Amino acid sequence: MSEQVDAGTGEGRRIGVFICHCGGNISDYVDVAKVRDALKDEPDVVVSETELFACSDGTQKEMVQAIKDKKLDGLVVASCSPKLHQITFQGVSKRADLNPYSYTQVNVREQCSWAHTDDHEGATEKAIGLVRAGVAKTRLSRPLEPLVVKTLPKTMVVGGGVAGLRAAIGLADIGLGVVIVERASTLGGWVAELGPMFPNEHSGREQIDFLIEEVAKRPSITILTDAELVSKSGSFGNYITEVRVKGQDQMVTAEVGTIVVATGFDTYQPEVGEFGYGIEGVLTLPEFTKLVDGSKGPLIYKDKPVRTIAYVYCVGNRQPAPGNEYCSKFCCAATVHASLKIAARDSELRQYHLHRDIRTYGKFELMYSESRERGSVYMKFPDETPPSVAKMADGRLAVTVVDTQTGNEELTLPADLVVLVTGMVPRKNQDLTSVLKLPVGVDGFYNEIHPKLRPVETVVAGVMIAGACQSPKTLSESVASGLAAVTQSAGILLKGFAELDPLVATVDTEACTGCTDKCLASCPYDAITTVDTDGRKVAEISAAVCKGCGGCVPICPENAIDLLGYTDAQMRASIDSLAKEPVS
Amino acid sequence: MTTTTPRLIDTELLSDLKRFGAADVSACFSCGTCTAICPLVDNDATFPRRIIRYAQVGMKDELLSSKELWTCYQCGLCSDSCPTQADPSEFMAAARRYAIASYEPTGLARILYTRPVVGSLVAAAFAAFFAVFMYASHGPQDAASLALFTFIPEGLIHWTGVAVMVVLALAGVFGITSMARRVARSEGVSLPALFGGRAQLSRAAKALWAALGVESLGQRRYRQDCKDDNPIEPLYRRRWLIHALTIWGFLGLFSATILDWGLALIGVKATGTPIPLWYPSRLIGTLAGIALVYGVSMFMVNRVRQVNRAAQFTTASDWLLLVLLWITGATGFFIEVALYLPNAPAWGYWVFLFHVSVAMELMLLLPFTKFAHAMYRPVALFFYALAADKSKQTA
Repeated sequence: MSEQVDAGTGEGRRIGVFICHCGGNISDYVDVAKVRDALKDEPDVVVSETELFACSDGTQKEMVQAIKDKKLDGLVVASCSPKLHQITFQGVSKRADLNPYSYTQVNVREQCSWAHTDDHEGATEKAIGLVRAGVAKTRLSRPLEPLVVKTLPKTMVVGGGVAGLRAAIGLADIGLGVVIVERASTLGGWVAELGPMFPNEHSGREQIDFLIEEVAKRPSITILTDAELVSKSGSFGNYITEVRVKGQDQMVTAEVGTIVVATGFDTYQPEVGEFGYGIEGVLTLPEFTKLVDGSKGPLIYKDKPVRTIAYVYCVGNRQPAPGNEYCSKFCCAATVHASLKIAARDSELRQYHLHRDIRTYGKFELMYSESRERGSVYMKFPDETPPSVAKMADGRLAVTVVDTQTGNEELTLPADLVVLVTGMVPRKNQDLTSVLKLPVGVDGFYNEIHPKLRPVETVVAGVMIAGACQSPKTLSESVASGLAAVTQSAGILLKGFAELDPLVATVDTEACTGCTDKCLASCPYDAITTVDTDGRKVAEISAAVCKGCGGCVPICPENAIDLLGYTDAQMRASIDSLAKEPVS
Repeated sequence: MTTTTPRLIDTELLSDLKRFGAADVSACFSCGTCTAICPLVDNDATFPRRIIRYAQVGMKDELLSSKELWTCYQCGLCSDSCPTQADPSEFMAAARRYAIASYEPTGLARILYTRPVVGSLVAAAFAAFFAVFMYASHGPQDAASLALFTFIPEGLIHWTGVAVMVVLALAGVFGITSMARRVARSEGVSLPALFGGRAQLSRAAKALWAALGVESLGQRRYRQDCKDDNPIEPLYRRRWLIHALTIWGFLGLFSATILDWGLALIGVKATGTPIPLWYPSRLIGTLAGIALVYGVSMFMVNRVRQVNRAAQFTTASDWLLLVLLWITGATGFFIEVALYLPNAPAWGYWVFLFHVSVAMELMLLLPFTKFAHAMYRPVALFFYALAADKSKQTA
């Protein structure tokens, strides 16, 4: 900024305004030439131009040139939503040696042209007002620099199941220290209890043993079993955690840069009477796989040979709300695999799969085909008519099912064993959830930031989720997400420092009276603390912890808190210029 | 079909059925491509898909009361288009074998179909029994001219034949009743609906004509549906003609026998004596014999060469029928030759004994071999014609 600029009003700045046609998306409804002309006369606006596509490579280059040639110190682009192109034009600013926080994006597409297709004049008027407001905000902008914090090269992995163990090995291999915190007394989780698995028929136990062996080879991994994470403080990249270990009076303290939560799932436990659960011979999927993996030869249950098995799929999953609406993904494949294992041991065994849809997706499909060829019968029942299970006079079980492929005939299937194919449910981890402030979805699983593009990060910076604590997953998917969490941790920790957005709240210590009860309570991230300054108690906001949500700003009775990049003065100026005068 | 009480599934049905063939049918996932391509599907029929489903699920009663089993003559289009290679046409054939074994109570058909060695021994034993039984009462072999009935008394053959026909009739009536009752129940056809009045009788008569005349004797649909065959077989090799010649030949020989017996009854000529070729009984018999032997020979050649879907899977019972038919037909010609040879050859007498024994066995085993389709198919076609008539009226 040159010397002529008035620090208080921003008068004398040199602001460039670029108004985008977005092909015709904007210009078909908003008279962009009129907007341009209106802005030309705005004080401190040096450049006012329209562009066919502001985001195109060529235009970006022209904008960089214009910023340099005209010595601009502020940039406003009136185009689409900042969600789409804020980063693009911040990049333009950077390339022109202009501070990216001197850039303001004004949304005249979603908020003008698309919203007011029936009122071209009104849309144009609104666009002019919004761009003027953007100019007013830019006029008062100050250059900001990213906040640099040092990070600790260490990660805590909560949960020692397959996802956690694999993540721990990956973290150790890229040079990070690891602390595994496992609530149970042994590592391995659910997978450790599983028998031979698709496709290579290695047992879950073998695979876990392999991982534990690998963990043991890495001295940078510390294992805490019978342990629970009970507190987390500090800031991004520098967390101080406390772990309670059974039998130890003192908490174990660990300082870590990131935390990977891989706490896994629970299996659905049917109510007594749900599909006959409670009757002898009605088992859940985990009970059945244990029976299969724990025996040899033809299946025997309670000393009686099993001649016929009926599988009832989707028990406790894909239910109408408020039940579990989601699909657990693994259960179709796991059931078909178990049925193949037992079919190989007893060719006379009759197996009936009563399902809503068989979802043996991807390579699991081959198992499904093999299973049919080996004589398993698949019967699809209508969603609204689930099967029922009862005991027959001869002691066997009777499963009554409507088979859609036989013209909705209601049939009774005599069976020796009924397997309720139960899926995954979120684990009850209330304490951990509140310690880490983890976001929980409506389904009870932990939520990521973006289901596709940011699948392991959470809104809690530096805290990642991996494995089935996020959603039902197969073993390979759990491992993949564990390794994704490794990559995200590496991105944060390997540089040794992290750059944080400087759009955070700051306290004017002069104005602060130190009342602090309101602002402390308002912060969802515990970023505000009380400190003594010159013998005076005032509020202090940790820039590393603050997310810039602005929740504390209006709370402060003294107006002592301001949000950088969105200061009171900027917002007021924006509103004033929007409301000042009729546009035309 | 509406039901009030859920049916108990027979969990052993499919594995039992597989003893009769249809090894691949478990691969079926009920897509219905077979139904879409089947040239016989009309009147909203959903076979073969539905019939396969009955077998997979274990709905035995529904399977055995399906008239559709018998309308199929295994053109093989469904198997060619099946995405899972479940071979529906072979399944239909296996289901027919299973049905033949299920409609008769003795278990003989099941043995003949599912236990080839035991079945062959049983078949040989039957022939041997008839041979020994008749040879026990044999007379001298006249060396001057072939006096067949001096060797084996005509009365013995006649009354043995009558006894065999009685057994055949009893077994046939039992089997047909057993099947017809099942189909009628599943089709919702009652006795009054058939015989309750003039209109009902007329409809039943029309259906009977369609079943016996148009289809069984005329082979109409077989002829029509084979015209799409690709590549087109020359006429002498077409399945429908081979099949029709076999039927016509068999029926021709049967009627020639009756005719010859009738001529003896009215005193025109004694049975077994040489007559000129233009005699109706001899003319019919000779032509019918040629037709039968040609038809059966072609069937056997096709089975050996596995030329089509129907010939690709063969049970011992399939061969048994062909062999018995062929022997009956061929030995008939040998006897004919022996009759005209000077100085009656001794082998002529032995061939005659063989011919008579095998012919007796053929008729006796009719309800227990593939031959049984001659009883069951017309019943199914009768119900098929009734249903077609009904849907035409309601349309």
